[in-house]
Amino acid sequence: MKNIYINTLLIALFITSCSNFDEDINTNPNVPSQASGMQLIAQAELSLPGLSSSPQGEFMSQYLAETQYVGTSLYPQQSTSFYGWYQGPLADLQAVITSDNLTGTEGPIENQIAVAKILKAYYFWNLTDRWGDIPYSEALKGQEDFTPIYDSQESIYKDLFAELKEASNMIVTGNLSNDIIYDGDISKWKKFSNTVRMLMALRLSEVDPATAQAEFVSAIDDGVFTSNDDNLFFQHLADANNQNYWYGQIVNQNREWWALTEGLVDQMKPVNDPRLPIYGNPARDSGEYVGMLYGDEVNLGTQEYSLLGDAIYAQDAPVYLVTYAQVLFAMAEASQRGWIAGDTASFYESAIESSILQWTGNTDTVADFMMEPGIAFNDAIGIEQIATQRWVHLFMFGYEAWAEWRRTGFPNMMVSPNGAAVPARLSYPDNEAFNNEVNYNEALDRQFGGEDSIYGQLWWDE
Amino acid sequence: MKRLLLTMSLLLCCTMVFSQTITGTVTDSQGTPLPGVSIVVDQTAKGTSTDFDGNYTINATSSQVLVFTYVGMKTLKKSVGSDSVIDVVLTEDAQSLDEVVVTALGISRDKKSLGYATQEVDGEDFNLTNEQNVLGSLSGRVAGVQVTGASGASMGGTQKIKIRGVNSISGGDQPLIVIDGTPISNANFSGSDQADYGNLAQDINPNDIAEVNVLKGPAASALYGIRGQFGVIMITTKKGKKGPRKVDVQLSSSFSMESAYNFIPLQNMYGGGSSQTFRTLPNGDPYVDMSVDESWGPKMDGTPVRQVFSFYPQDPQYGQLTPFVAHPNNVEDYYKTGTTFNNSITITGGNENTSIRLSANDTRVEGVVPNTSLNRNNVGLSASLNLTDNLVVSSNINYAGNEGQRPSQGSEYGGAYMVQWFQRNLDMNRLRDYKYNDGTFLHWNLGRPDSSTGEISDFEPLYWNNPYFEAYENLSNDSRDRFFGDIGMSYKIIPELEVSGFIRTDMYTQNIEQRQAFGGTRLPSYSVGKYQNKEFNYELLAQYKNTWDKFSLDATVGGNIYDRDYSYLSQSTVGGLSSPGFYNIAASIDRPDTKSYKLRKKIRSFYSLVSLGYDGTYFIDASIRNDNSSALPKDNNSYWYPSVSGSVVFSELIDWTPLSFGKIRASYAQAGSDLSPYQTSLNYGVGTVYNGTNTLYVPDELNNPNIEPSFSNSFEAGLELNFFSNRLGFDFTYYQQKNKNQILNLDVSGTSGYSSSIINAGLIENDGFELSINATPIRSEDFSWDFTFNINKNNSEVVELAPGIDVYTYDSTTYSSVSSYLNSYEGEPFGSLVGQAYERDEATGEILLDDNNMPLYTDATHNFGTVLPDFNGGFQNTFRIGQFTVTGMIDFQGGGQFFSRSKMLAVRTGQDALTVATNDNGMNVRDPLDQGGGVKVTGISASTGEDVTAYVDARSYYRNTLGRRIYEEWLYDASYVKLRELRVQYNLGKNIMDKLPFETMSFALIARNPIMIWQEAPKGINPSEISTGAQSISWYESGQLPSVRSYGINLNVTF
Repeated sequence: MKNIYINTLLIALFITSCSNFDEDINTNPNVPSQASGMQLIAQAELSLPGLSSSPQGEFMSQYLAETQYVGTSLYPQQSTSFYGWYQGPLADLQAVITSDNLTGTEGPIENQIAVAKILKAYYFWNLTDRWGDIPYSEALKGQEDFTPIYDSQESIYKDLFAELKEASNMIVTGNLSNDIIYDGDISKWKKFSNTVRMLMALRLSEVDPATAQAEFVSAIDDGVFTSNDDNLFFQHLADANNQNYWYGQIVNQNREWWALTEGLVDQMKPVNDPRLPIYGNPARDSGEYVGMLYGDEVNLGTQEYSLLGDAIYAQDAPVYLVTYAQVLFAMAEASQRGWIAGDTASFYESAIESSILQWTGNTDTVADFMMEPGIAFNDAIGIEQIATQRWVHLFMFGYEAWAEWRRTGFPNMMVSPNGAAVPARLSYPDNEAFNNEVNYNEALDRQFGGEDSIYGQLWWDE
Repeated sequence: MKRLLLTMSLLLCCTMVFSQTITGTVTDSQGTPLPGVSIVVDQTAKGTSTDFDGNYTINATSSQVLVFTYVGMKTLKKSVGSDSVIDVVLTEDAQSLDEVVVTALGISRDKKSLGYATQEVDGEDFNLTNEQNVLGSLSGRVAGVQVTGASGASMGGTQKIKIRGVNSISGGDQPLIVIDGTPISNANFSGSDQADYGNLAQDINPNDIAEVNVLKGPAASALYGIRGQFGVIMITTKKGKKGPRKVDVQLSSSFSMESAYNFIPLQNMYGGGSSQTFRTLPNGDPYVDMSVDESWGPKMDGTPVRQVFSFYPQDPQYGQLTPFVAHPNNVEDYYKTGTTFNNSITITGGNENTSIRLSANDTRVEGVVPNTSLNRNNVGLSASLNLTDNLVVSSNINYAGNEGQRPSQGSEYGGAYMVQWFQRNLDMNRLRDYKYNDGTFLHWNLGRPDSSTGEISDFEPLYWNNPYFEAYENLSNDSRDRFFGDIGMSYKIIPELEVSGFIRTDMYTQNIEQRQAFGGTRLPSYSVGKYQNKEFNYELLAQYKNTWDKFSLDATVGGNIYDRDYSYLSQSTVGGLSSPGFYNIAASIDRPDTKSYKLRKKIRSFYSLVSLGYDGTYFIDASIRNDNSSALPKDNNSYWYPSVSGSVVFSELIDWTPLSFGKIRASYAQAGSDLSPYQTSLNYGVGTVYNGTNTLYVPDELNNPNIEPSFSNSFEAGLELNFFSNRLGFDFTYYQQKNKNQILNLDVSGTSGYSSSIINAGLIENDGFELSINATPIRSEDFSWDFTFNINKNNSEVVELAPGIDVYTYDSTTYSSVSSYLNSYEGEPFGSLVGQAYERDEATGEILLDDNNMPLYTDATHNFGTVLPDFNGGFQNTFRIGQFTVTGMIDFQGGGQFFSRSKMLAVRTGQDALTVATNDNGMNVRDPLDQGGGVKVTGISASTGEDVTAYVDARSYYRNTLGRRIYEEWLYDASYVKLRELRVQYNLGKNIMDKLPFETMSFALIARNPIMIWQEAPKGINPSEISTGAQSISWYESGQLPSVRSYGINLNVTF
């Protein structure tokens, strides 16, 4: 009797061991298997402030000086990784662009794809301006290609122009939901696309003026920003999950590491720039605005210098990325170069006015400021004036200001601590030498004679 | 309680009434008493065994026969007759080394019939010195096993074990731990920083262990399938004995004291600051720059200065100037004397058809780091009952409870930062009173005083908390309740065929809580996690054993269902806490971060094993196993793999007296492997919610729906030789293992959109040898010497990686934007350390110098070679001198390397003694260059190509160049020889014991980790304790807690 019982058990065990498992046993219950287009786009939008919020960018454009670990953080001699951008926002946007199951519940599918393409182009533009040639055409393909080639910056620019045009053209009527940046207003996305194209075109002013002018004019014709309401900025929240980077550093981590540079204060203080009280705080010991010499390793301190302004590092402080004032500065420069018609001085003044409005919230001080010595437009030094004022405006988006400095050479009072000049690019991530060796070496040979130096010049940096 | 047990056991003894009492002594041919000789009254179940002095007492009638049996000795039968004293001498039996070992699935086999290497460690070895973590006791005791531990300050911290090298390119090759047939989890909840909770095998009570058998290669472990691919550590616990009714009670108590040692030698000349001149207050008073966490400051020459505490208005020394002097022992002073109390009781009993063993253990540890502790309780019950002659039910039930309050360790966590960033002038005794009466805290690292008032208004610390604030306010608590064990039944259908079934389980709940208190550097926070794991194994086995003439057959078929159910819920506050002192998720200012996770995995297996023997001389084994894993893609989830082994006991064939035993063996096996669940389908991650807008993202790890099981192939051959009546034994093994088409999480270029991808790829080969020697060079009545020596050498080679990929990054770490990696390169040994090296002149190898005469360095791609050791092993000696037994365990490792961030930072921050060396001008390196100071550098100028000898500023050299950029300088050889355990035991003699109500009694002095006999790495870094966290390869050290030595006493009583 017992034997029968045990034998049955035995047989039962073997039978079950041959049959299949429950259908869903290897289905991950902890994460979703579906994502909507706008959920992925919103995630990619969360990375936007990261384009600006880093001490590194502020050092490149000498906005901020280090009060403590100067030697440590001057310029990134070592590699700077771009992996996060590809793995983060670009992979999310690519998933939208290549998705075959988008639905219209969050707005027209064409518009979702258009926004994804625009943001993708914007991210890639930022990347190529920092590193030079980068993986582009073969990038973001996952298993299909783990070792993408590095495309030339020239070809990337060319393709980005085309992509942005295509994206603008595919936009149809109908707003989107679940959009952090423009609250789904598709017309603003279209203006943003054209504005990026315009600013990209300006970047080619030295290397290829003809293309630069053509793309610039074409972008304006398609419709660029018309007021600060169109600005692309990331509004942080008074919520630790969505707070400003600088708040985490200065308040949460108690790092009083950043003072305004002497160069910046010297530019703003003598002309009573109304933005200075926003950019920085008065030095604690003197109550005055005192800049710190960039890269100074001797006279360190936090009492003696103007530290980063309260409004800049507030938990919910916005991060400005693409602004109407930039559009106006660009138009001023374009008219100065003869690319477009119009009065350079009035573009220039409007640009300053928009900048002051953006930073201070009003235009009350604009008239007085324009009267300050050296502020009114002077045609003889037009490009320099425009570039220098643009540098003041671009405060805290150091990487963008650095790109404009590389293109124009202004402002021209950058210092070289211990002989260290402002870099011309970032060096590639050193694990590319492990993960993508052939293409990495090929890109270095092609551009910089094999050396991954931060002083290698980019294609457009003539 | 104890008295009750004593009374009970006495009562039980008194109920036994017999006709004649026989006593006697059993010795070997040299007259040495033999303890533990089994004495059974023939044809009955009555029996006893000799005590430590070889004495026994038994009741029998004059017509009965006593049977004396002892391993390695000829069995002796003796008629009782009229003698009341029967002394016997047992003679050695070279032929009958019928040592029985427990092999895979709990199958008992004659050791001589096995065709593969296994090595046993006696349970006693786990109780020599109260090691808290069972795996730690294996170090050096088994050839081919490498154990890397962690500092004893973590109290049961991580012990990592590797068998026969690294057999997985991804490093995940921990052996399976099996206790009484039940596989148990050896998970680890620690990361590389903060509290080291240790691996979960520490829940095994060392006191319960009868024997540990290490199954090293797939041949031995093939029957455990997937989970046994990297070897199996089989633990057998002590059991009660069936036979004459008998109860033993054993009490054991020990107490030990622990102290921290092995500190990096630090300098005592220069104090905190970044310049050798003092900063001054508006009134001209000099002050110590409390904003700098380095010791590049002024000379500590006793100058009266304002020190940090003098800026606290609530401090008794507010406003006072005090001498600026060194506190040479400030780091040492932080650590206190720890204590460990261990008490255990064991009751073992049995009668004709029942056996039972009950054990309870209580361990209370107070750590060497202030305010840290661990309490552990173990309760174990094992019982077996013969329901009928053919049907036996049995059960093992173990409970382990842990409650820890552990120190943080690792890079810049807890108090361990003091070697990395600190001021040599800080007085630990001053910092100890870290809390003022008004509830505010004394810190040492603050912003500078206001340059107009000379006061500090913001007392929020800058980068570092007072280490006592870390110890008493930023608490890390953990607790775990765990049950593991089995219930089973076996039934003999016919005498040769037995069928058995078991339900085995291992279930635990792990709780982890962490606090960041108000008043420190970090945002106050609280996090809590509950992790639950339930594993069941349902097992059914049929075993047939028979012999025909000279043939013997042992066949087993069986099946197993493995079912794992794991879940966790972890939460942490975001944005701070709403009210001081209230540590709860509800206190989160912003939406708390919460994670809930579930995991389910099943493996169904079928296996069969056949062993054939001929004439006790020739043996052959073959096995086959099929696994069906739910984690693999549905249409590729079933796979089969075989093993075969054979052996010849050639000593049966030749007649040469000195050779008492000789065997050659060889085996080949394949083992399959799968992966964690949910890695075969594509999913999205859940991102941050922004003001009602929700986000999802594409994960960085790319899953793969086409993954296949991977297989390893192994071959081994061995030779066992015993000489001179087994007083000298050798066991030599050569092995080779190839793990192919592994399931890897391969790092890929991030430009693909992913950081890594799950793929099948690669081939890693290991080969090596193992040698163990057992010997009893001296054996006499009053003195004996036994030793065991183990050594193994392993070579690994990563033969291939994925197509187009010739580097695999196992791990990386970045500090001050300088990265270093642990990479494997095609064609090289596993695990190369990669980082920044000196740039050298190609022709001469000299260091290249820049125009400031500072060394130049490469980018972070320089390959420094493998981190794995060339060889390791151990040497255990036991001396019996009269009533004394002295046991010493030495383990050693040759080769291997690691990177020490602690040493690098100690130099960078001007704390290391190196930074105040005297140069060849007889000046301190910190003296000004124009007075003959500075560090002498020699090399070749990169710009001119000329030889350079120059003196450079010590701070720039150490702080900005060597201590930050040149990792080559901070790589150390991991070789060491360590006295790990030492025990001196005294057994009370028979004449004393006769007057006491005990059967045996012993005292012992114990020492754990008393001496690092030799190490290649500089003082202050312990190469044997660089393991922390769950990661399986240890390759760098950062913020290691100091080594801990422990001295104690142990008392053992049985009655």
